[in-house]
Amino acid sequence: MSKKVGVPILKFNKVNKVYSEDFLALRDINLEIMPGEFVSIVGRSGAGKSSLLKLIYAEEKPTTGELYFNGEDVSLIKRKNLPYFRRNIGNVFQDFKLLPHKTVFENVSYALEVAGKSNEEIEEEIPEVLTLVNLSSKADKYPNQLSGGEQQRVSIARALVHNPVLIVADEPTGNLDPSSSIEIVELLLRINELGTTIILATHDRDIVNKVAKRVITLDGGKIVSDKTNGKYLI
Amino acid sequence: MKLLKLFRAFTEGMRNFSRNKWLAFATVSVLTLALYVVSATVFLGLTGRMIVDKIEDNIDINVYLNPDVSEENALETKVLLESTMEVESVTYVSNDTALEKFLSDSSGDPSILEAVEEIGENPLLSYLIVHASDSRYYESIAQTLESERFKNQISHINYGKNKEKIERLNRITSSVERVGLIIGIIFVVISVLITFNTIRLSMYSRQKEFEVMRLVGASNMYVRMPSIFEGIFYGTISSFIAIVLIFVSAQSITPLMKGIATEGMLMGFYWQYFWLMLLGILVFGVFIGVVSSFIAIRRYLKI
Repeated sequence: MSKKVGVPILKFNKVNKVYSEDFLALRDINLEIMPGEFVSIVGRSGAGKSSLLKLIYAEEKPTTGELYFNGEDVSLIKRKNLPYFRRNIGNVFQDFKLLPHKTVFENVSYALEVAGKSNEEIEEEIPEVLTLVNLSSKADKYPNQLSGGEQQRVSIARALVHNPVLIVADEPTGNLDPSSSIEIVELLLRINELGTTIILATHDRDIVNKVAKRVITLDGGKIVSDKTNGKYLI
Repeated sequence: MKLLKLFRAFTEGMRNFSRNKWLAFATVSVLTLALYVVSATVFLGLTGRMIVDKIEDNIDINVYLNPDVSEENALETKVLLESTMEVESVTYVSNDTALEKFLSDSSGDPSILEAVEEIGENPLLSYLIVHASDSRYYESIAQTLESERFKNQISHINYGKNKEKIERLNRITSSVERVGLIIGIIFVVISVLITFNTIRLSMYSRQKEFEVMRLVGASNMYVRMPSIFEGIFYGTISSFIAIVLIFVSAQSITPLMKGIATEGMLMGFYWQYFWLMLLGILVFGVFIGVVSSFIAIRRYLKI
């Protein structure tokens, strides 16, 4: 497990997730993730990767067991406070989930608008983030005018703009060609170096091997291995 | 900050509205139609009521007095009748006035003049014109007049002639009102359902967006506000179109109402109640728009 000390940013304690009687998505998950880690979660489709991530950003609740975020029990967060909770976590999805009728700039700024940031703050912060993901020149383009890799970088910019402590990426390279995938992973590594914890779910062997950091392998909803400097096993 | 969010929601709503032109068009059309049908029903109902009132005003009972009743007695009877609740007004017409009117009506027909001169004295009776406060009361007024109290003063009453007319009018009025009310309610229900469904469709087409908004940390209210503004736009635009449509319809049925209503009565009515009608339609339209949006979006906010 992690060698770092302090409060884990995420702690799963005997978590089970059952969707229906004959479908156990997650079984007895015990897991600690420390601030600043880069964790790859691997496994076949249906191994429980997405379920695990949905628990983290509170789209789903554990059926039994507890999940702590910075020491706080996530399942106790009231529904009306979920939006505030989610602003601590940046989400990146396989299908980008951009708003199709907003430009790159607007897609990123929306995340700040919902938090009630002033226009001045927005004008100041967005260019910085867009520079980080190397999209300054495409700020006025719409998602359908961008390549897949570029769209994914927009969604990473949007995830970053709150300065979240944690970024959760669910198969971010699933829809991308190999060279775009490498780009995205390098970007995530760079963000991690700046101090943000990253959880990356993927079933792409090359990516996991390139990252070469902590790898947690899921199979049938169970953690079957958890290795620092891991490799893709299955 | 609240104001900033509200302003952002407003512009967002505007953009949604203008972006999705076909859906906006469909929603506004349905809502306009609904508002039009409902307010036209109300408008026609009120107009009908007014026409009936007008006709009722023209109904009266003529009470012909015996020739030996003096003017003094006649006026006493008039006051007595006026004091009863069912009676709105009583006009006394003396036999001299009646003769004058009769002669002027026959506009100097020499044979009539001759006949009157031949008789030598006024052959006509003085009479009272009795207006009831409601056409339903004529029956009981006629009964009162036939009672002992008035019997020896009265020669005859022409109520019988009007009786059928009055009864028919009463029947028609009450059934028109009942049917109008039922049709009105049915239209209100149908139009609310259709409008609701159209707005739901427009929300359905955007459910992915709502999901994204929630996931980047937008509160439910923040996701909802633009749609509520959209609902307000739908309601406002539809209301204005509906009131114009009513104007057009009122103008085009005016010629058809010749003989029933006086020229310009319908339009006069329209302008008299313009602001009240506009306000009513506006409130109703915005209400349907907002409530539909509010309910339709709810199911997409459960993440």
